[in-house]
Amino acid sequence: MSEMTRFGARLNHPVLEAHIVKARREFSVDVRLSMGRGERLALFGASGAGKSTVLSCIAGFESPDQGEIRLLGSTLFPPSAPLHRRPLAYLTQKDLLFPHLTVAENVCFALDGVAAGGGGAGGRVPAAAWVEELKRRLELESVWEAPARAVSGGQARRVAIARMLVRRPPLVLLDEPFASLDNLLIFELLEMLLEWQHALNFALLAADHRREILVRLCPRVAVIERGRLVQEGTWEEVAAAPATPALARLLA
Amino acid sequence: MLAFTLMLLYPLSGLGAPTGPWKWGGGYPGSTMAAVKVSLALTALALLLVIIAGTPVAYYLARREGVERAIWEGALLISVLLPPLALGILLSLSFGPMTALGGWLARLGVASANSATAFVATQFYVSAGYYVLAARAAFAAVPRELEQAAGLLGLNPLRVFWRVTLPLARLGLAAAASLAWARALGEFGAIIVTAYYPSGMPVQIWINLQEAGLPAVMPLLLIFLLSALPLPWLLHLAARRSQVYV
Repeated sequence: MSEMTRFGARLNHPVLEAHIVKARREFSVDVRLSMGRGERLALFGASGAGKSTVLSCIAGFESPDQGEIRLLGSTLFPPSAPLHRRPLAYLTQKDLLFPHLTVAENVCFALDGVAAGGGGAGGRVPAAAWVEELKRRLELESVWEAPARAVSGGQARRVAIARMLVRRPPLVLLDEPFASLDNLLIFELLEMLLEWQHALNFALLAADHRREILVRLCPRVAVIERGRLVQEGTWEEVAAAPATPALARLLA
Repeated sequence: MLAFTLMLLYPLSGLGAPTGPWKWGGGYPGSTMAAVKVSLALTALALLLVIIAGTPVAYYLARREGVERAIWEGALLISVLLPPLALGILLSLSFGPMTALGGWLARLGVASANSATAFVATQFYVSAGYYVLAARAAFAAVPRELEQAAGLLGLNPLRVFWRVTLPLARLGLAAAASLAWARALGEFGAIIVTAYYPSGMPVQIWINLQEAGLPAVMPLLLIFLLSALPLPWLLHLAARRSQVYV
């Protein structure tokens, strides 16, 4: 039985339950988060507030000092689950495409794990048709056979998105993935991500310090300040009564 | 720069020196071919062992940081810096037939001096440290984040190594292997102590020089240079050209 079918059977679980405690030089991060299926939550805060630490602990790029992380009822921490047993996607500023492979090979990279019996997309749609759809809707036809290191910045971003969607992850983490892109491209990618979110119904946790991006992506927001969540609610609720002076300044 | 380069390469002109007609057979008939065969076959074997044992170690080292890495690298550096002649004598003193280890090997039917085993073992000792340090650099040039990204796509660490790390480090590893090849093939100081027989090219060249004169030395010298130089040289150039991305 594949990882995803096993997870998929547990519909009653929240997608993500996390309590992350991690010491940093200036302060310690201590954050509790819970997300339901298909929920979109923004993690909003100034640069250096601890957003990246939270996401990177969930993704498994680093390990919390204490706490607990559960994804669809399975424990990711403690003990720290290896990366390949975390059915989630993590998009950061870097595309991290595999430079020695073509665009097609990058997009299909995760399917190799499925064929070899690893975790992955126990999809109802056959892999080939699914890949074909990603290729068409993310407009990758023209670069499909090109080496990944030869594509432009905007194309690379779309390749990275296609590559993470191939496994139909139940949770997608975005850590300021639009930081180095121009506004037109950001708008295009935001729309694209939202479309896919509606189609695949993954939970989306998006961190950024720019409100205008998060507002577009997520109806609810959790505000982080020096490692602690200070407020959680809809954007209207938070704007109407910001919990701290720093947040009021950030929203002004 | 040009003057310096010319100065460094000037000795190669010695290949054209008037030594009289070259004796391709060497000092005695067949000795040239025998030495070439011994050298190429046993160096290939030694290199294979170096790669099998050294590659995982190099990868481990590339993913360590700080004090731990410094300690391991320091230890490897000792092996690299040992003067070959000193290493040869030390190998004889620690592995030779008169030692406990050598006696135990002899009972197993393995001669620990003047044998193919001794030849290969000595080559292993002179080249393994070089290989590991160079391969470590090749692995370190592969961004950790790429491996992590591959892991999150569902590939276990072994498959990540196979599909991401190894292909990206390929040229650097080839350069490391060729460095080890040149080092092992060219080894003379340690080999002459531990494995005078079977005589590989360096030792045979020495014998020819002592007993038969330059006409017998030159052909072997040419083959020696051709088998040690061109491949590592090209691989180093190639590895330099393909620096890492991201």
